[in-house]
Amino acid sequence: MVTPHLPGFCDPVHDAQRTFRALLDALARPGISHTTASVTPPPGLTTSCAAAALTLLDLETSVWLQAHCSEDIKSADIKSWLLFHTGCRFTDNPQQADFALIWTVSHGLSLQDFNWGTPEYPEASTSLLIQCPSLHGGNAITLQGPGILGEMTVDVSLSHSFWQQWQQMTRHYPLGVDAWCFADNRVMGLPRTSHCLNPISID
Amino acid sequence: MVNSSQLPNSVWTRSVWMAILAKASAEDLEACVATLGALPSYRFLRSPEIGLAMVRGRAEGTGEPFNLGEMTLTRCVIQMQAMSAESHQASITESEAIAGFGYVAGRSQRHAELAAVCDALMQHPEWRAIVQSQVLQPLQAAAHEKRKNQAAQAEATRVNFLTLLRGEG
Repeated sequence: MVTPHLPGFCDPVHDAQRTFRALLDALARPGISHTTASVTPPPGLTTSCAAAALTLLDLETSVWLQAHCSEDIKSADIKSWLLFHTGCRFTDNPQQADFALIWTVSHGLSLQDFNWGTPEYPEASTSLLIQCPSLHGGNAITLQGPGILGEMTVDVSLSHSFWQQWQQMTRHYPLGVDAWCFADNRVMGLPRTSHCLNPISID
Repeated sequence: MVNSSQLPNSVWTRSVWMAILAKASAEDLEACVATLGALPSYRFLRSPEIGLAMVRGRAEGTGEPFNLGEMTLTRCVIQMQAMSAESHQASITESEAIAGFGYVAGRSQRHAELAAVCDALMQHPEWRAIVQSQVLQPLQAAAHEKRKNQAAQAEATRVNFLTLLRGEG
């Protein structure tokens, strides 16, 4: 194992607790962004995604890393950092992953590749950790579901194809995946109960 | 166990000094490290944390492994700059960083930290000889002395069980 060159949380207990609270709140109130604890992330991870990884991953979780589209992200660095600080296992099969680290949702990512759980155990599904360039400035999508008073418009920068797949997936409730979107030190939750109202058109 | 002061340089493998640091008492280690003076700056990659480890054993060393029991363990990983005097860079770059590991029995976080610092210094070209002579050899000698005393005490209370031959009339 290669020892990474970056430390984890400065205050492991309280930083992890604060981040866990932010992640819970994010799923309880979809579409509203929350601030995670800060950590120096390895190149290729956002601050909030790195904090979430340190908080959620442990010896018993398996993680699927998306193959990178850009050259400058060194997956070996990220792997050794995650392995050192969390002890998680890595898998190449997204069906077996408890968590999936995703850099881009536009390049042939299919939500169906992931584990949607079973009717008896819908919580056994994969949770997606999606890193976005920004939580704002994308297509405006109207969300509705538990945790949302009436309806809510989000403009997180996710592709049309993602929202189309999301719309199809939410019809299979209680099966499906939950997702968090990360940018900088902010996190926004997208649970499987949130369905998009407006029909998604193809560009 | 051989006396370390007679050990040639090649025998100073990492496992040897890790064992010495782990088995030494926290007070002795603290006192030895204090004689080193100013140390290179370091930061925690993994701050000292206390956990449990399952100790496994094999009957007579060859049987099926079994779980003997859990023991408390404190571990710590620090990162130190390899070049202390010449470079004054604020950030630790990848090439010149040394990682020091400390794994000790018990709950002393300071012990784990000092063990990790000494492990890093042993990988440091400028510090290796100093740490070897001022920390590891005294600790090794103290451990040797303690074992000898214990052996002597045990020896003093030795009872020999002899089986007498029964007279077969």
